[in-house]
Amino acid sequence: MKSNFIYKSILAVAILGMASCKPELKDITPTKGSADFSRYIAVGNSLTSGYADGGLFLEGQQNSYPLMIAEQMKAVGGGAFATPFFKDSEADGSGHLVLKGFDAKGLPQLAEQKDRLAVRPGSGAVTLFTKYTGDLNNYGVPGIKLAHITAGVYGNLNGFYERMLPTDAPGNTTPYLEFVTAKPYTFFSMWLGNNDILGYASSGGANPNDQPTPKAMFSGLYNIAVNKLTEKEAKGVVATIPDVLSTPYFNTVTLASLLAAVQVSAPTVKDIYIKTGAGATRPATAQDYFVLPFLSAGLLGVPTGGIPYGLHPLNPVDSRWVLDKDEAAIVADYTNAYNATIKSVAAAKGLALVDAYALLKEYGAGKDVNGIRVSAAFITGNIFSLDGIHLTPLGYSIVANEFIRSINSKYGSSIPIVDVTKYRGVKFP
Amino acid sequence: MLIKSKINISYFPKINRISINNYPNMKKIVLSFLLGLPILGYSQSFQVNLQGQKQTAMGGAGTGLALDEAAVFFNPGAVSFLKKNGVQAGISPLYLKTAFRENGSNITEYNKDKIATPVMGYAVFGSPANRLRFGIGIYTPFGGAMHWKEDWTGKFTVTSLDLQAIYIQPTLSLKITDNIGIGGGLVYSLGKVDLRRAIPITKPNGEISTAKLKGDAKDFGWNAGIYVQTVSGVSIGVTHRSQITAKVKGGDAIFDVPDALRATMPTKFDAELPLPATTSIGLGFYPSDKTTIAVDVNWVHWNKYKELAFDYDNNARIPDTKSPRNYHDAAAFRVGIQNQTTNRLALRAGIAYAMTPVGKGYVTPEVPDADRLLLSAGLGFKASERFLIDLSFLYENVKARNETNIETGLSGEFKTAAYIPGISFSYKW
Repeated sequence: MKSNFIYKSILAVAILGMASCKPELKDITPTKGSADFSRYIAVGNSLTSGYADGGLFLEGQQNSYPLMIAEQMKAVGGGAFATPFFKDSEADGSGHLVLKGFDAKGLPQLAEQKDRLAVRPGSGAVTLFTKYTGDLNNYGVPGIKLAHITAGVYGNLNGFYERMLPTDAPGNTTPYLEFVTAKPYTFFSMWLGNNDILGYASSGGANPNDQPTPKAMFSGLYNIAVNKLTEKEAKGVVATIPDVLSTPYFNTVTLASLLAAVQVSAPTVKDIYIKTGAGATRPATAQDYFVLPFLSAGLLGVPTGGIPYGLHPLNPVDSRWVLDKDEAAIVADYTNAYNATIKSVAAAKGLALVDAYALLKEYGAGKDVNGIRVSAAFITGNIFSLDGIHLTPLGYSIVANEFIRSINSKYGSSIPIVDVTKYRGVKFP
Repeated sequence: MLIKSKINISYFPKINRISINNYPNMKKIVLSFLLGLPILGYSQSFQVNLQGQKQTAMGGAGTGLALDEAAVFFNPGAVSFLKKNGVQAGISPLYLKTAFRENGSNITEYNKDKIATPVMGYAVFGSPANRLRFGIGIYTPFGGAMHWKEDWTGKFTVTSLDLQAIYIQPTLSLKITDNIGIGGGLVYSLGKVDLRRAIPITKPNGEISTAKLKGDAKDFGWNAGIYVQTVSGVSIGVTHRSQITAKVKGGDAIFDVPDALRATMPTKFDAELPLPATTSIGLGFYPSDKTTIAVDVNWVHWNKYKELAFDYDNNARIPDTKSPRNYHDAAAFRVGIQNQTTNRLALRAGIAYAMTPVGKGYVTPEVPDADRLLLSAGLGFKASERFLIDLSFLYENVKARNETNIETGLSGEFKTAAYIPGISFSYKW
């Protein structure tokens, strides 16, 4: 009797505690709010395609922000999402950079990975890729400008677009905007406009064929694009253009770092001479931006015609390696004007807006994300890939979450965010 | 009064929800106890309050009682009032489950199932007729065991922490008058720490890097108390256990990183962790011959835990880290009751409320602390005049807490519950 009582007591006490062993958090039921995610399409450029490390390749495509968003949308009625993946046998796509190590000075050694390219034999001036046939939801085309979206011939000029089209170049006549809207969709994201200023900036303002798209033209085309995308009542999200001047592409090679490197062997050197976009030769200042490829070009100080390159007014650093102060001001001005257009069109059309300009400024300045320190530092910052402009999978996951937050707040949906810690930063050897 | 106002009465319905249907669950849990590893859980931040089975069953109160050999820990001044000499040994297998959900996510993650097994043992010698008595105690006042899955979202903050400090305390206790006893002991602390986390550096195979920090510490402290039996029949105890700063010198820092970075990583580290002082006051009431009521208040001097700093021997890539903790002092309130139901059987129950020392913004996943409610029950069985068995069960309900850590940016909700059965055997003479 007594021992029976003891056993019962032990049992009662044990069960009391064990009854609900796992602590429970309040249930969350994701909802789609006022939006319909059953067919989501992603319209955009390289950032949308998953371009990284100076190329478009399979791993980058698998880590594009639209694919991440689409996976999360499945919790709230999102449908299948097709990406024009390169085949496994052509996984290197257009070729891409890899980090091979560091030299004695600690400078990164990059190499191009091109074992399994998707380049079509017989490509001419335009590099063409193995055709993709199949469903499409990610319409990201590396290199496309807003200025290109209504041009019928563009399908013959950009191999990344050409590979999505049924017809071989030079027979294409479908403008990008027509192509992406041909099949019904319920939700879109559009992140276009970056290349309308990026090409100018990354070429140091020196390429006469790659000048900024005029502001009025940008505004006109942006309205055309959004009107077209929303004409069948689809809802969507658009994003502003990041500040290219805050990327590692323009901030890794600095006047101070170049001078320090030169002064190791030539301590008397005080100036580096540059040729400006306006054609003047002058000493560089901290307001001038040297582009990232100048690091590996290995030109500085090497005599040409008996004069060390960049160290004498008679042999200045060429304009294409430098975005000088005046050119940088042009970049800032156009970026601000484009972004003003994007914001006002988004507001007028009631679209969700991602301020990618502010987002990448914030993370670029240095931020801790789930214990990961990220910044705009080249390689060590973890969010910018090896080309210094495009993002790593980690960087794209941060962008994806910002799109999700923006969509949720605009349409009252609750698409779950992605776990950014599942995505890699820069890969080290 | 303070206690009443702080206890959330809504926890109580859980007690009534005892159902035999849960029995299979219990079986599974008992099995996992047997498979458990020897690691520890915590009771207020990383303080562990499982020093005696009788006291654990009474909500952890006992500073104002001369209850048994565990007085060596609870109040060295009461040791000289023990009616018999004795030796006891016990164990409290601890099952702790924490849920975490990142804000914006729909995924709840749990820590791994691990059973901690803090042990305790005490002996009291000397003639009960004498004023001077001797005691020795071995117990575990601090510990932590938190094991998350290697790929969980907070992996860059911590994947696992095993921490324990075993105190060995030889004790003298002197009855200065028939009603007043003082006692004190030297504490020798054996500390161990094993901290693991992921490092956001991607290896060539796409896996992330990891770090493991392992070290030992041996330090000294003390424990002293005074015990008074008042004429009104109420007994009073006041104790102070000193702070011990566990110092790890030359601990092993094991970094698993890409080859290109291996030479830049530290291999040794120094660190210090304050194991805070605790001041307690306790009262004992004896409403009848068979009933004892204990009321304790503990004041834990957590404010000394300002930061967790790691000093590495190689800072080429990993700087020394100083993680802010900024704990503040925190109190715990405990009430317990014992009823000597029959000659052989004593029943016990208790309730306690422990306030968290962790301020807003400082909650970390290795110790996801919050205010907590403790409910306990137990029984003592006198098998013979000399041989006793005590059983206890403690349930801890740690409040849900939604926090964004100011250091790591990890943002989400934690909820923890702990289930701690315990058993001890004592032999008296």
